[in-house]
Amino acid sequence: MSEPFTRRDLLHKAARGTVLATLGGGAAFLVQKAHGQVVWQVDAARCLNSRLGVVGVEACRLCTTECVVALSAVRAVNEYSRCGRCNICPAYFNITSAVDERGLPSEKLCPRDAITRKPIGKADPEDPANNFYEYLIDEEKCDGCGKCVMQCKEPLGLGSIVLRIRYDRCVDCNRCAISRACPKDALIQVPVEQALRNDGVH
Amino acid sequence: MQYRQVGVIGGKGAGPGQFGASLRGIAVDAAGNIYAANDSQITVFDATGRLRRRWSTSQPVHSVAVTGDGAVYTGQIRQIEIFDSAGKLVHTWRDETLLWRVTAIGFVDGDVLAGEATGRAIRRFDSGGKFRNNIGTDNPLNGLLIPNGVVDFGVDAHGIIHAANPGKHRVERYTPAGELLGHIGHFHGTDPAGFGGCCNPTNVAVRDRIYVTEKAGPRAKVYNFSGDLEAVIAADVFDANCKNMSIAVDRRGRVYVADTVKLAIFIFEPEAV
Repeated sequence: MSEPFTRRDLLHKAARGTVLATLGGGAAFLVQKAHGQVVWQVDAARCLNSRLGVVGVEACRLCTTECVVALSAVRAVNEYSRCGRCNICPAYFNITSAVDERGLPSEKLCPRDAITRKPIGKADPEDPANNFYEYLIDEEKCDGCGKCVMQCKEPLGLGSIVLRIRYDRCVDCNRCAISRACPKDALIQVPVEQALRNDGVH
Repeated sequence: MQYRQVGVIGGKGAGPGQFGASLRGIAVDAAGNIYAANDSQITVFDATGRLRRRWSTSQPVHSVAVTGDGAVYTGQIRQIEIFDSAGKLVHTWRDETLLWRVTAIGFVDGDVLAGEATGRAIRRFDSGGKFRNNIGTDNPLNGLLIPNGVVDFGVDAHGIIHAANPGKHRVERYTPAGELLGHIGHFHGTDPAGFGGCCNPTNVAVRDRIYVTEKAGPRAKVYNFSGDLEAVIAADVFDANCKNMSIAVDRRGRVYVADTVKLAIFIFEPEAV
């Protein structure tokens, strides 16, 4: 039987998850780059999929369709410290799909089934809605389409899922193909040190 | 049942009767006066929407409630400030833990209830501010699931507390002692009778019925105590980016909803059948 879930567990998991997510996705690769070098980065405040105030529109897929790297060097990342761990996560479920016999949406949102979830702590069999979930994004499957990012954004979600360039995949084009296509100029070049700070690696 | 909009109070701005940057809570007293918890102040309007008075609180204010004799309780960070009806500070209850962020206040059997968002609980205090018990922390496992950061509730005429549990898409009923009695509501992404999105309803008010607001998309709805949807009060009038819209109901059945982006209080009343 699993141990009772506590807020301390939650915070510990959040901190661990954030560090692993950032390091695992290429930040460790980034730290090997030379001091003073610049890299491409997605500015979440400009990106249509994550920028606050933009609601009711389709997710922008240009990071998927324009990147020269197979599947794209841009991937969705869940910043666990901000995730609400909701039972019905709009980034995991298609929340407008039919409700199944468990009271949950019957369809998932991600077209590549890149998001999985597992309950945190003790689940009440009499009350399955009474639970938190940890949402994991499989970056091998993710192609950075941004659908989950758009659905996670406030006010629908908490904005914990964002698009990030994975530096172990990015080939550092002088003129990033996504940046040329992005209508919001959300692809920016920043020094390595700033990129590390922005990705939460201090 | 249908509702129609009959007025709008406030709006974003620096003028008299306007709100500067936030509008987090509203309440209505027995005379129909409307109290707004905006910025770091309480703003009071009469039933016609005319500005009556306003006064400052010591911190940004997150919630407001008015007793039958006109005392005004204001929820803040780590404290509740209590004012008389003229806006004079009478008491300050401070607690670093139990009152971390007070997003709702109510009254039951002479006691004071404080919705405390960080602890995801409703704290019950006696009239002197002495802590009595928690409500909503044991239902039976994880307590109130509130990814939206607000604990909100209403108290009915029988002293039953109706608390929004948005992570479970429910409004739950509790005794003042904290016993879970039951709930209404379920998730549904398209049927307006259900609560949509990740976490709704966010806010609740209770009088002859249960009144709620939701986010994404924002709307106000009314249910009977059996959980049947009676009406969608309004949806399109609210800014699409609204969340945590405080709701209040006066004894005439008028419904007041705080648009947290437009910083306006929308007023609705049921249309005569």
